[in-house]
Amino acid sequence: MKLIKYFSTKLLFSLIFFLLSPMFISVLAQGETESGGIGEGYYNFIILLFVLLIVVIFAFLFLFGMKEVSVEEEELQLKTAKVPNKHLQKIRQFLTRSTPIEKETDILLEHEYDGIRELNNRIPPWFNYLFIATIIFAVIYFFDYEIFKSSPSQIQEYNMEIQAASLQKEELMKTGSFLDENSVTVLDDIASLNKGKEIFTTNCVACHRPDAGGLVGPNLTDDYWIHGGGIKNIFKTITNGVPEKGMISWKSQLNPKQIQEVGSYIISLYGTNPVNPKPPEGEKYKGE
Amino acid sequence: MELEKFSYDNKIVRNFGIATMVWGLVGMLVGLTAATQLFYPNLNLHLQYTTFGRIRPLHTNAVIFAFVGNAIFMGLYYSLQRLCKTRMFSDKLSKIHFWGWQLIIVTAALTLVMGFTTSKEYAELEWPIDIAITLVWVVFGVNMFGTILKRREQHLYVAIWFFIATWVTVAVLHIVNSIEVPVSFLKSYPIYAGVQDALVQWWYGHNAVAFFLTTPYLGLMYYFLPKAANRPIYSYKLSILHFWALIFIYIWAGPHHLLYTALPEWAQTLGVIFSVMLIAPSWGGMLNGLLTLRGAWDKVREEPVLKFMVVAVTAYGMSTFEGPMLALKNVNAIAHYTDWIIAHVHIGGLAWNGFLTFGVLYWLIPKIYKTELFSKKLANAHFWIGTLGIVFYASAMYWSGIAQSLMWKEFTSLGVLQYPNFLETTLQIIPMYMIRAFGGLLYLTGAIIMVYNLVKTAKAGKFVANEETEASALVRTKDRFKKGIRHRFIESKPILLLTLATAAILVGTLVEFIPTFLVESNVPTIANVKPYSPLELQGRDIYIREGCVGCHSQMIRPFRSESERYGEYSKAGEFVYDHPFLWGSKRTGPDLQRIGGKYPNIWHYMHMEYPTSMSPGSIMPPYPWLLSQKLDISTTAKKIEVMRNLGVPYPDGYENIANKDLMKQADEIAKNLNENGIATSSEKEIIALIAYLQRMGTDIKAKNVEGK
Repeated sequence: MKLIKYFSTKLLFSLIFFLLSPMFISVLAQGETESGGIGEGYYNFIILLFVLLIVVIFAFLFLFGMKEVSVEEEELQLKTAKVPNKHLQKIRQFLTRSTPIEKETDILLEHEYDGIRELNNRIPPWFNYLFIATIIFAVIYFFDYEIFKSSPSQIQEYNMEIQAASLQKEELMKTGSFLDENSVTVLDDIASLNKGKEIFTTNCVACHRPDAGGLVGPNLTDDYWIHGGGIKNIFKTITNGVPEKGMISWKSQLNPKQIQEVGSYIISLYGTNPVNPKPPEGEKYKGE
Repeated sequence: MELEKFSYDNKIVRNFGIATMVWGLVGMLVGLTAATQLFYPNLNLHLQYTTFGRIRPLHTNAVIFAFVGNAIFMGLYYSLQRLCKTRMFSDKLSKIHFWGWQLIIVTAALTLVMGFTTSKEYAELEWPIDIAITLVWVVFGVNMFGTILKRREQHLYVAIWFFIATWVTVAVLHIVNSIEVPVSFLKSYPIYAGVQDALVQWWYGHNAVAFFLTTPYLGLMYYFLPKAANRPIYSYKLSILHFWALIFIYIWAGPHHLLYTALPEWAQTLGVIFSVMLIAPSWGGMLNGLLTLRGAWDKVREEPVLKFMVVAVTAYGMSTFEGPMLALKNVNAIAHYTDWIIAHVHIGGLAWNGFLTFGVLYWLIPKIYKTELFSKKLANAHFWIGTLGIVFYASAMYWSGIAQSLMWKEFTSLGVLQYPNFLETTLQIIPMYMIRAFGGLLYLTGAIIMVYNLVKTAKAGKFVANEETEASALVRTKDRFKKGIRHRFIESKPILLLTLATAAILVGTLVEFIPTFLVESNVPTIANVKPYSPLELQGRDIYIREGCVGCHSQMIRPFRSESERYGEYSKAGEFVYDHPFLWGSKRTGPDLQRIGGKYPNIWHYMHMEYPTSMSPGSIMPPYPWLLSQKLDISTTAKKIEVMRNLGVPYPDGYENIANKDLMKQADEIAKNLNENGIATSSEKEIIALIAYLQRMGTDIKAKNVEGK
C-alpha cells in the first residue's frame, strides 16, 4: 500500500459511505411506505440520520487532524511495519501491469510540454476488460431489444402491468374488498363517520358550507340531487367530479376508503335542515 | 540553437480568473436562493423576476456558462500559451473574446429574469444572444487555432486535443440546437417540434455536459494536475484511448434523458448502450489523473491544491459511473423526474467542476502574482467546508429523490395509489430541501473564503502581466505514419486532429437524427390532434415565459402508477405542433399533460392567484401578475404566420382573423369566471394561460370518449 497512503484510504471510505447512502436510504424508504403511511417516525428518523452523519464527519475530521500531527511517525510505521501481502500484490500486478515507480525512468517518454512529462505505462488490463465487457453488454442489449425483440418494449411492459392490475382487481371483487361505485356501501359506525366529517371539513366546506347547506355547491341535506343521491351516486360524483360545473375529481386526493367515509358522512346529514339552505337543485331522489 | 524571446499574456488569464470568481459567487447565490424558495416560496419577494421558474435557468446558465465557462477560458489561455510555447495569437481577439463573453452573460441574466426564454434547458437564451455566442465562439476558435498554428512545439499535448474537441463540438451543438425562427426581437420558435425537438434538445443538453463541463475540464486536469503534483502523466497510451473513445461515444448518449418517453425506442436503446459503454472511457480520465499522483500522495496531504483536485477527479469517476447506471431503464424509471438527478448533476457540478476550478485558482493566482498563497489554512478550511457542503447537498437529494419516487409508485393492497395526492409526497421531502439549502450555504461560504484568500494573495504579490520567457524556434522533424507512432503523426497536425474529432462526433449525431427526422413511422400521427387556438398559443407562451417547465413535466410515462395518477400515457403524435416541446425533466409539481378539463376555470384562477388556497401547503409560488397584466395580442398574427411556416396547418390568411377567434375564446372563459363570482376581464394574461391549461392533453381524451 505504498502508493495509497493514509489520506486516500480515508477519502475512499468516506466516498464509499457517500455512494452507499442512497441505497441505504432506499431500503428505509421502502420499509416506511410498505408499512403504510409516513408518520412522525419518518421525520425523527431523518433528524437522527443527519445527526449521525454530522457525528461521523466530525469524528473523521478529528481523526484526520490527529494524524496530521504525527505524519513522520506514521510514515515510519508504514515503511517498517507493513509487509505487503504477496498474493494481493500479484493480483494487483496482474490487473494493472503497472511499471513500478522505481523503474519508471525506463518508460518515460522523451518529449516534455512546459515541464510535463509522460510515462508510457500499459493501459491497465482491468480497464480493457471493463471496456470490452461494456461493449459486449451493449451488443447483447441491442440485439435483445432491437433485433430479436426478446425483451418487451415499453408499451408491452405497460400492458402487462395493466393486465396484472386488472387480474388483481377481479380477485378483490370476488372477495368483496374492492371499493368502487358498484360495491360501495354506507358506513354507519361512529369512527368512520367522524373520519368522514374530518375529510368534509378539510375539503368540502368551502363550497358546500360547514353544515352542508350549500354555497357555490348544492345543499347536500335535502331530497334533491343533481347527479343522483345514495352512496353509489355520491361516491361516483366525488370520485370523478363534474369539472364543467365546478366539482373537481377527488380521486387524486382521496383514496376510495376516504371517499366512502365522506360519502357516508354526507348521507348521515340527511334531514338536518340547516338554517337558510340553498334552494333545491336537481331531481328528487327516490332511493336505490 | 538560438532562443527566441517572447512573453506570455497573463492579463487575459487574470481577467478570466476574476470573472470566474465573480460569476461563481453570483451563480451559487442564485442557486441558494432557488433552493430556499422550494421550502420558502416567499423568498421571491413577490416579484415575477425572482420567481423560481425564472431564476432556475438563471442559476444553471450562470454556473455553467459564466462560472465554468470563464474558468475554462482562464485555464485554457494559461495552459495553451505554455504548451505551445508562444503568446496567444492575438491580444485583440483575446480581449474581444473576454468582453464579448461577459456581455453575453449580462444580457443573458437580464433577459432570463425578464422572461425571455426558449425553454430548452441550458439553451434558454433567445436568438440574438445565440448569434452573439456563435460570433464570440468563432473569435475564440480563431484565437486558439492561430496560437496552435504558430506554436514552437511540434506536437500537441493531450490537453490541447481536448480543447480542440471541445471547440468544434460545442460549435456544432449550439448551432444545430438553436435553429429557430424569430417572431420578434426576443421571441422565436424552434424549427423542430415535439419528439424531434426533444431529441435535438437532449442531444445538445447531454453533450453540453460532455463537451462544456467534461472535455475542457479534462484538458485542464491534464495540465494543472501534473504541474501541481510535479509528476509525469501515468500513461500516454491511456490518454489516446480514452480521448477518442470518449468523444466518439459521448455524443450518442443523449436519448438516455428520454427513456420511457414518446421517443422511438430504438433511439432509447442507443442511449442506454452508449451510456454503458461510456464508463471505461470516462474512467480513463480519472485513472490517468489519480495514477499520475503515484508517489505524490504525501503531497496531497499537505497541499490544498491537490486535495481539491483529488476530490474533483474522484467525484468525476463517481459521477460517470452513476450516469450510466441512471441510463439503465429500470433505474431510470425510479430516478427520472426526481431529486436523484439533481444530486447526480451536483456531484459533477460542485465536486468535479467546482473543486477543480478551486484547485486551479489556488495554484494559478499565486503564480501570476509571483507570490505564495496568502493562507494555506484558509484554503484547507475551504476544502473541508466545501466537502461537507457537497455531502449534505447530495445525501439530502438522494434521499428525497428516492423516497418521493417510491411514494409516487406505491399502490395499496386494494390496487389504488397509496399517495393519490401529489402534494403529500412533496410535503414529505421538505426537510430534505432545507438540508440541501444548508449544504449549498456551506459550499458558498467556502467559495467566499477562497475569494478573500485570493484577493489577499493578489494584494501581497506583484502582478506579471507579460511573463517574459524564451524558447527555441520550431524545427520540424518528419513524422512518419507508421505503426507504433501513428498517433504522434496526428499530434503534429492540428487540422487533421480537428477533422478527425469532428468526424468522431458526427457519426452518432447523424445515426440518431436522420431516421428520427425522415422515417415517418417514428412519430405516428393522430387524427384528433389539432393545432392550438390563437389564445392557447399565447397562453402556452406565458407558460414558457414563467418557466413552468422547470417544475412540471408534460410527459406521462407508460407506467400504471403514472396513468393512474395523471391519465393516459403520452403518445408521440400528440406533440407534432409543439414548437418547442415542453416535456420537462423534473417533477417538483405534478405532470400537467392531461390537466385539461380536470379542474374548472375558477380553480385555475384561484390557484394561480394563491396556490395554497386550493392546495394547502403547496410550495408553488403565487402568480398575481398574471391576473393584472394585459395579454399582448399584437404578436398573434406573426406567431401564427411563423408557426405555419414551420408546418403547423393554420389555413392561409388565418393570421388576419386569429385575434377575432382569440377574443371570442377569451370572452367565453372570462364570462365563465364572472359567473362564478370572479371579477376579471377577457384581456388578462391569466385567461390565455387557463385556455392553454384547459386544452392540454384533451385531443386524445376526446377520442376516448368517442370510442366509448
